[in-house]
Amino acid sequence: MIGPKTIQAEMRKPAPARGLALPGTGAKVHEHYLRNGLRLVLLERPGDLVVTSLLWYGAGSRHEAPHEAGVAHFLEHMMFKGTKRFGKGLVDATTTSLGGSNNAFTSFDHTAYWFELASDRFEAALELEADRMKGLLLDPAEFISEKAVVLEELSMGRDDPWRRLSQDVSHELFGRHPYGAPIIGHPETLQPMSVEIMRAWYERTYQPCMGTLVLAGDLHPKSTLSMVRKHFGSIESGPAPAPVLCAPLREPEGERRIEKRWDDAASRLVMAYSTVSVGTDQDFDLDLIDTLLTGGRVSRLYKRLVLTDGLATMVGSSSDTRMEGGAFWINAEAVPGVDLAELERVIEEEITRLADEPIPAKEMRRVQRTLRSGDAFEAETVSDLAEWFGGFAVDADWRMLLDWEERRAAVNAKRVRATARQLLTRERRVVGWSLPGKES
Amino acid sequence: MSTKLPKLHLPKQRYVLPNGLVLIVSRREGAPITAARLMMRGGTSQDPAGKEGLSWMVGRLADQGTHQHDEAELVTRLEPCGGSIAGNQSGLSGSVAGDHWKVLLETLLEVARHAAYPNDPVRMHQRRFQARLEVEQEDPRSQAAQRFRHLVYGKHWMGRPAHGTAETIGAFTPKDLLDHHRSHWAPDRAILSVCGDVDPGQVKKLVQRLTRGWQQLGPLTASKSRFPKDGNRLDAFKKSRDQVHVFLGHLGVRRSEPDWASLVVMDHILGTGPGFTARITKRLRDEQGLAYSVYADIHGTAGRLPGCFQAYIGTSPQHVHTAVGGFLEEMRRIQDETVSKAELKLARDYLVGSSPLGFERASQRAAYLVTAEVYGHADDHLSKLPGQFASVTAKMVRDAARKHLRPDRCCLSASGPVTKQGLRRALAQ
Repeated sequence: MIGPKTIQAEMRKPAPARGLALPGTGAKVHEHYLRNGLRLVLLERPGDLVVTSLLWYGAGSRHEAPHEAGVAHFLEHMMFKGTKRFGKGLVDATTTSLGGSNNAFTSFDHTAYWFELASDRFEAALELEADRMKGLLLDPAEFISEKAVVLEELSMGRDDPWRRLSQDVSHELFGRHPYGAPIIGHPETLQPMSVEIMRAWYERTYQPCMGTLVLAGDLHPKSTLSMVRKHFGSIESGPAPAPVLCAPLREPEGERRIEKRWDDAASRLVMAYSTVSVGTDQDFDLDLIDTLLTGGRVSRLYKRLVLTDGLATMVGSSSDTRMEGGAFWINAEAVPGVDLAELERVIEEEITRLADEPIPAKEMRRVQRTLRSGDAFEAETVSDLAEWFGGFAVDADWRMLLDWEERRAAVNAKRVRATARQLLTRERRVVGWSLPGKES
Repeated sequence: MSTKLPKLHLPKQRYVLPNGLVLIVSRREGAPITAARLMMRGGTSQDPAGKEGLSWMVGRLADQGTHQHDEAELVTRLEPCGGSIAGNQSGLSGSVAGDHWKVLLETLLEVARHAAYPNDPVRMHQRRFQARLEVEQEDPRSQAAQRFRHLVYGKHWMGRPAHGTAETIGAFTPKDLLDHHRSHWAPDRAILSVCGDVDPGQVKKLVQRLTRGWQQLGPLTASKSRFPKDGNRLDAFKKSRDQVHVFLGHLGVRRSEPDWASLVVMDHILGTGPGFTARITKRLRDEQGLAYSVYADIHGTAGRLPGCFQAYIGTSPQHVHTAVGGFLEEMRRIQDETVSKAELKLARDYLVGSSPLGFERASQRAAYLVTAEVYGHADDHLSKLPGQFASVTAKMVRDAARKHLRPDRCCLSASGPVTKQGLRRALAQ
């Protein structure tokens, strides 16, 4: 069991790098900490005349108190609604006038803000980010209209049968821990949410010491550091965020099952196993299992369910490891009319096979090679690189990317078997079906 | 801050092989990925009436095995190199990691030339596609989009779903696919682009060897395009959901339209500008909070044949009337009033400033090079485009809007908890 943690307790220790080559990416890493605690990582990669700025805050929906559910994501929307210095619409107008793009995303463990600009003008992103780290207006009228947008986004998700089923499975898997709740929140918490609740969250979590700024692309480390100091250096860091008490993750206590209805012809299956945190050795084992099961057309589950037995129109899987725990997901859509129990049995058989039989050496080599080759796609663009790197920097430790190859190569048949035996068991899973029919 | 524009460098070598295949190679030193795109001219336009989806299925199942190798052998060759290929009605595309570009081209061209459409895999995938299409027949967003295309294009092939229907797809035999492939896929109808850390000369040599003996078929005969006249046609797909998907618009323009640059600028002011800078997004999402997803544009679908002006919103049922009214009012406003200096400047600055972006991926470069070949863009097209955008005036935007937008003759398709009566009232605003 993992107990409650404070946001502060998860903060990383400084260990700056200076021009360290990041294997397989063509990038050099330069790491700095400003006096106010902001971490800066420069990923110097000449080539495309583009720089990506990704500012990560180590605060996501997991850190919300129950009455704040949805505030991290809602605030992400409000971050585009104006500050004292740059009024409403100016984040977009400035980005647009420079020919750039911006966006943002919220996860359970963090929230991140993204800009992509030509490399001769990316300083504008720094100016905007530094400004909205502290000076957000949170205008009440804007708050009300944006709340309506968030509620529409929620409705959009409710109309998606996969999203609804996955959310129910997630809730069953993680229980009362915040990983079991939707990042977007609930109508019951969003409707009554006030500016005051959001402001309190903003002031508590949007601190320099909570931030990791990743700048990647065609940049000069020295002048970029000066730019960052110029814009962020004078921002004072407030007190460390207060502890967030939440329900702990518990060890699963047996298989749980869900059955839902949706008014179309599809039978959808979402199966999830409770797994481990990001960056652990078992995280690497699960990545290999993921590729082995559904990565490509000769993968085990795709071959059996889709090609050989004709039971499914599609099958996919993913290993979703987060800071406090994780889930291994398998989803499939049944061919109409097939025996659904048979489809589930085949999945069960393949999972059991992982635990019972060592992976043949030839298959192991193929999967390892596929995983290695896939890395090139993870860092093809500087935005890909910034997101890939930043995710590890904020949720784990980016240094794991330095010995990534070695750690992955260390995954062998014995380890995979042990991990499957320990984590991919019936007792640790939730099975959710969405079947044709009217929703009750 | 510097205002000097970075220049996009997209070098290319263009070859026409003796068998008629057009090969375009773009070298980029150090690129971690090589991408290739093989476009076969014709596509969905070659689907006979009643056989909708044939071209798509021919492309989609081309990789199920060749006369030399079965699917598993092809995949085992490609996947460990981080490679994959996929097909559709337009041909094949693929990518590979590292220096394995030869494996990619060997596989891609073997599939393009010798696709065998073996019985068992074809039958199995056919059942899959049918099942997917049956689900899609109940999906509100897909239905609204398909019905909108039918309202705009009528019985023309562009009004039919490229993937066909569960019925048409289910009727094809492997022989149908093989025959269609043999009678439509040929080197003199193909454009192949290759982008990555490759030597153009070596690529040419390899492609020449791999396509030797591939039979030519002669040029395609273009059929005359007839589209329905503009008019207020509407369709509703009823389904119990939280949101309504609304598509509103009419027949659009070809890519060769002389007003192209003005229309792109107009789109950015009206409905596609990034963030909430465009009028429709600003009004319906940012100010009125009616939707998470909303946009409008005319240039995005333009091709050798006319695309369509299309405005989309996903919104709650009670907002449909307001949303449709907002679309129509903004269409009229951009025709009646000249856009402000600030709006014009913002749109132009974006289009000029974003020119170096969007070509970071090898696949984006490969796609651009094929498109440029199809439209006959000159070598300096990319470098001239920013200048064309920069010279668009407010009057040019208004003139283009007056000429190409028809708010009083829009089609309207919607799905979810809606009625035709409600849509009719909304369209009459």
